[in-house]
Amino acid sequence: MRSRKLLFSVPAIMLATLITTGSSGVSAYATDLADSSQKVATATQTAKAKGKILGVSNKARTITIEEKTGPANVKFTDATVGMEHAQKGEAAIITYRMDGKNKIAITVEPKLAELPPGVSELQPEELIPLIALGPKQGNYLLIDSRPAGPYAAGHIPGAVSIPVEKMKSEGKSLLPDDHKDKLLIFYCGGPT
Amino acid sequence: MSTSSAGLAGKLGYSSIKVMLKGAPGWKKAGQKLVASNDFVANGNAIILDLRPAPAAASGHIKGAVNIPAAELAEAEDNFPPSKAAPFVLYGEPADIKMAMKTLKDWGYKSISLVEGGLIGWQAAGNTLVTGPAASEINWVRKLEEGEVGLDDFNKVAAGKGTGRIILDVRNLDETADGMFSGAINIPLDELDDRLTELPKDKEILVHCSTGARAEMAHQTLKKSGLTSLFLVATVECEEGICTAEE
Repeated sequence: MRSRKLLFSVPAIMLATLITTGSSGVSAYATDLADSSQKVATATQTAKAKGKILGVSNKARTITIEEKTGPANVKFTDATVGMEHAQKGEAAIITYRMDGKNKIAITVEPKLAELPPGVSELQPEELIPLIALGPKQGNYLLIDSRPAGPYAAGHIPGAVSIPVEKMKSEGKSLLPDDHKDKLLIFYCGGPT
Repeated sequence: MSTSSAGLAGKLGYSSIKVMLKGAPGWKKAGQKLVASNDFVANGNAIILDLRPAPAAASGHIKGAVNIPAAELAEAEDNFPPSKAAPFVLYGEPADIKMAMKTLKDWGYKSISLVEGGLIGWQAAGNTLVTGPAASEINWVRKLEEGEVGLDDFNKVAAGKGTGRIILDVRNLDETADGMFSGAINIPLDELDDRLTELPKDKEILVHCSTGARAEMAHQTLKKSGLTSLFLVATVECEEGICTAEE
């Protein structure tokens, strides 16, 4: 359950209050605090679901997101901010609140990939001249980290296939062992 | 995936590592092309399109290729499969390839790549060509995804012929008002999490909606809960109580 840390934040209080009370949000928030601290705590507990979006249904108003613990369903409403980031196959962070047993999405944000230390990003435009040279002349190794199936159906010219699982088990023998300073370029199916 | 691999390479002592975060989709967006593996061209479940005029294709083409000359592509749309996931691999003149890629993309196809190096590259890699007229009709059948039930299998159960299998309809109430498959259970997708106990543990549950999107989402939920299920990717329509499922 590490990925469902409960957060308590001021913006979330404001947002949840605005959703329920509209323009009179601030005064209602103050009244709530005075009336019942319990009520405010319940209304402002939010949690985050991070992972790949498995599906979005406008008819069921539900997003299915692949969490570390498995797929979870989060409902969205007209008040959900950032629905344009809820795209099947994309990685996202959904901040939600609980309404009974239901998870209600407050915001959907794109999950940006974090680069490991010492690794920098390469733009597609920077790769174009390297591909024109080819791996030998350009002195690089281009590695497709996706599973073998998508690689076979279409990959960047000159790329070799080393799915991430294979990299874990056999990476040492698959990379050039004599030139540790050779430029290695990795890519996959996008920022997931 | 690429960032984990890059991290592993860093741990192995490599000092010059970059990641193209935008990945294969970013490469395509930059106007660049992808190439297929030659083994995929020869043996994969793909549609190999030869875009040259018929006489050129007859004098030598890749075995299994379908010859649709670039000039005739636009009027051949009915010949193309309904599944937008159908993978295409193209070869021919560069200008024709460019035009064909745009046409296929406009028709909604998502997987389009090229034979690496065209026919010259194909032969240089040790592959041969076959002579004689090439096929002119696309004859491609989609392979089922993991967790997917075939349309024929589903229709058998819908006709009451399936033992040990039941149908779960995850459409909304306003959709099921026009009818449901006989014997089907209806639980709208947004109520599924709360109503899992209504489903049998000893049967295989075939999930459908109106297209397949919600069915796949429901399948994930059922699988996580330890239930056995498959999902249907098909267009389901109901009228006056009678439902049909079609590709």
